[in-house]
Amino acid sequence: MSTHAAQPVAVRTHGVDMFFGDGETKVNALKQADFEANRGELIMLVGPSGCGKTTLLSVIAGTLTPQTGTVEVFGQRLDGLSQEELTTFRRKHLGFVFQSFNLIPTLSVLENVMVPLLIQGASHDVAVAKARAMLEKVGLKGREYGQPNALSGGQQQRVAIARALVHEPSLLICDEPTSALDKDTGAQIMQMVRDLSRSPERCVVVVTHDHRIFRFADRIAEMEDGRIRRVVEDASLLDTNHL
Amino acid sequence: MYRLALNMLFGDRAKLAMLLCGLAFSALLMAQQTSVFFGIMSWTYTPVYNIRAPIWVSDPMVEQANDAKPMRDTDLYRVRSVDGVAWAAPLHTSFLQARMQDGNFKLITMVGIDADTFAGAPAVLSQGHIEDLRLPNTVIVDEWGAQLMGRVTKGADGKEVVIPLKVGDTFEVNDLEARIVGICKVRRAFTGGPFVYTTYDRTKQYTLGARRTLSFMLVEPQAGVDPVKLCARIEADTGLKAWTSDTVIWSWSDRSLARNTFWWFWKNTGIPFSFGTAVALGLFVGIAVSGQTFYSFVLENLKYFAAIKAMGAGMGVIARMLLVQAFTAGLLGFGLGVGMAQAIGRAMIEKGMPPFIMFPQIFWATLALVLGISLVSAIIGIIKVSRVDAATVFRG
Ligand SMILES: Nc1ncnc2c1ncn2[C@@H]1O[C@H](COP(=O)(O)OP(=O)(O)O)[C@@H](O)[C@H]1O
Ligand SMILES: [Mg+2]
Repeated sequence: MSTHAAQPVAVRTHGVDMFFGDGETKVNALKQADFEANRGELIMLVGPSGCGKTTLLSVIAGTLTPQTGTVEVFGQRLDGLSQEELTTFRRKHLGFVFQSFNLIPTLSVLENVMVPLLIQGASHDVAVAKARAMLEKVGLKGREYGQPNALSGGQQQRVAIARALVHEPSLLICDEPTSALDKDTGAQIMQMVRDLSRSPERCVVVVTHDHRIFRFADRIAEMEDGRIRRVVEDASLLDTNHL
Repeated sequence: MYRLALNMLFGDRAKLAMLLCGLAFSALLMAQQTSVFFGIMSWTYTPVYNIRAPIWVSDPMVEQANDAKPMRDTDLYRVRSVDGVAWAAPLHTSFLQARMQDGNFKLITMVGIDADTFAGAPAVLSQGHIEDLRLPNTVIVDEWGAQLMGRVTKGADGKEVVIPLKVGDTFEVNDLEARIVGICKVRRAFTGGPFVYTTYDRTKQYTLGARRTLSFMLVEPQAGVDPVKLCARIEADTGLKAWTSDTVIWSWSDRSLARNTFWWFWKNTGIPFSFGTAVALGLFVGIAVSGQTFYSFVLENLKYFAAIKAMGAGMGVIARMLLVQAFTAGLLGFGLGVGMAQAIGRAMIEKGMPPFIMFPQIFWATLALVLGISLVSAIIGIIKVSRVDAATVFRG
C-alpha cells in the first residue's frame, strides 16, 4: 500500500448502482453513487432514513457487491473480487462498530476483543496481550473478564471500538455508533474514535442520524435518494431539519 | 477461535443444559433400550450359557437351543466313537408341569444331566451339593424357581410374602416325588419355566417313560483337537448336527449354537420389530429435541456469526467452530446418557429384572448415533450461517 501513500484518497466509489429484489418489489438503493473519503479523515454519511447510507457503507466494507460501478479502498479494487477475496480483505483492512454493538454475550469482554486477531490467525497469547492493551486504551482496564451485558451501553460500545481497532485496520466503519447512547456518552465515544483513528494510514466512515456528533467530522457527505447530494466541511451548512 | 467457540457454547448454561438433556436423552434411549433388548434376547441362548459344554450335538433338524428333537440313546455311542472325542454325555431338556404342595401347578424346564460326569451341571450352587443328585428322587432348583414355586403366606403386617423353596422341600412331577437337594444360580431362559436339574436316567421316569429323551449330547474334544474341526467330523461320521458353544452372537460362525439361537428368535418372532419400533420412536424424539436445541442455539448466535463473518472469518473457520461446538455437546451428552443408562442398568440388575447387556457394539453405535445427530445439527447450522449475508450485521 505504500506505493499509494502519496495518493490522498482512501475510499472511492464511482457510478455505483445497487438494487435489491426484482420485479414489483425492486428497490434501487444506490443510484450512480460517487463517494470519496481521504486518508486520515473522519467522514460522516448523513441523510434521511432509507436514502441508502447503510447500503453504501456495506458496499465500501465489501459486505455487499454492487451491480455496477467501481469501489476502491486504499488502492484495492473491490468490484470484481470473489467472496473469498472480499473476506480476506475485510479480515485485514476493516474494523466495524455497529449500532447494536453486536458483542457476543457468552464471551468475556476480553474474548470479544480477541476475535479479529484470532480470525487473522494470531496465537491465543498474542491475542490476549493485544486485546488487554486495547481495552486499557479505551479505559476498560479491570473489566476484561466480565460479561459484556454487565456493562453500560457506553462501556459496551467502547468494547466494540476496542474490537474494531485491535488489529489496526486501515478502514474503520461505524453504523449509527451513538444512536443507542445518551448525548454525553455519544460524545465520549466519538471523541475516542477520533483520537484512536487519527493517522494518515487510516480512514473512518461514520453513518449517523445524530446531529449532536456532527462536530467530530472532518467532512460530512449528505445523501439523498441513493446518491451523494453534497459534501460539506461544516455541519452548520447542513439543513438539519431535513435529516 | 475454537477455544472461543467452546466458550460460546459454555457461556449460556441454560441453553447448554437443554442441549445436553436432548443429546443425553437420545443416548440414554438408544443405549438403554438396546441393552435391555439384547439382554432379553440373550435369554434365548441361556441353555448354552448355563450348560457350559464345548460341543453340542443335536438332531440334524434342530435349529436352536430351545428346540429339542430327541435322538436315540444309541446315537451316543456313535458320537463317542468319532475320532477326537474325549467323552460325550447325554442331556435331556423338556417343559413339564410341577405340582406344588398346595396343589398349584407351575411350568418348569427339566434338565437331565449325566449322573457319572455331571456334565452340564450348574456352575454355582447357593445351597446343597451336586453329588446329592445321585440320591433317589432328587432335584436341584434354580433361585428364580425357588422363589416362583415358593409358598405364599401373609406376613405379620398382612402383606403377602413368599417363602422360597429350600433344600428338603418336595414337589411332584407327573405324580413322582421330587426332593430338593440344592439351589443353584443360573441365568434365566427366554422360554419355559425355571430350571429343575435331575439326572438323565431319572428323566425317563419324570417324563413317564418317553421313548426318546436324548435332547442333546455334550461333547468334550480330546486335548489339542480343534472344536470346529471336530464338529465337522461328528457331522460327517454320524449325520447329526454339531455346534460350538461360544456365545459371541456377532461373529459369523455358522456353528455357534448361541448365535443361531439368537438369530432364530430374531427372524421368527415379532420381538425385534416391536422393540425396534419403540427404540426408533424414542430416537426420533431424542433427535428432534437435540437437533432443535442446537438449531436454536445457532439461531440465537446467528447474528454474532454474521458479525464474525463480516469481520473476515471465512466459512471454513465458522464451519469448524460449529463442528467443535456440536461435537463437544455431542460427546458430553453421550457420556451423560450412557452413564445414566449404565446406572439404570445396574439398578435393574440388582432388582433382577430385566437383563441388561451393554455390548461394546451398543456403546459404539450410540456414540455414532449421537455424533451423527451432532454432525447433522452442525451442518444445518453451517448452512444457516453460510446463507446469512454479512451485510445483515448493519441492520438492527
Ligand atoms: N436487503 C435488502 N433488501 C431489500 N431492500 C433493501 C435491503 N437493504 C436495503 N434495502 C432498501 O434500500 C433502501 C436503502 O436502505 P438503507 O441503505 O438501509 O438506508 P439508510 O441506512 O439510509 O436508512 C431502503 O429503501 C431499503 O428499504
Ligand atoms: Mg441505516
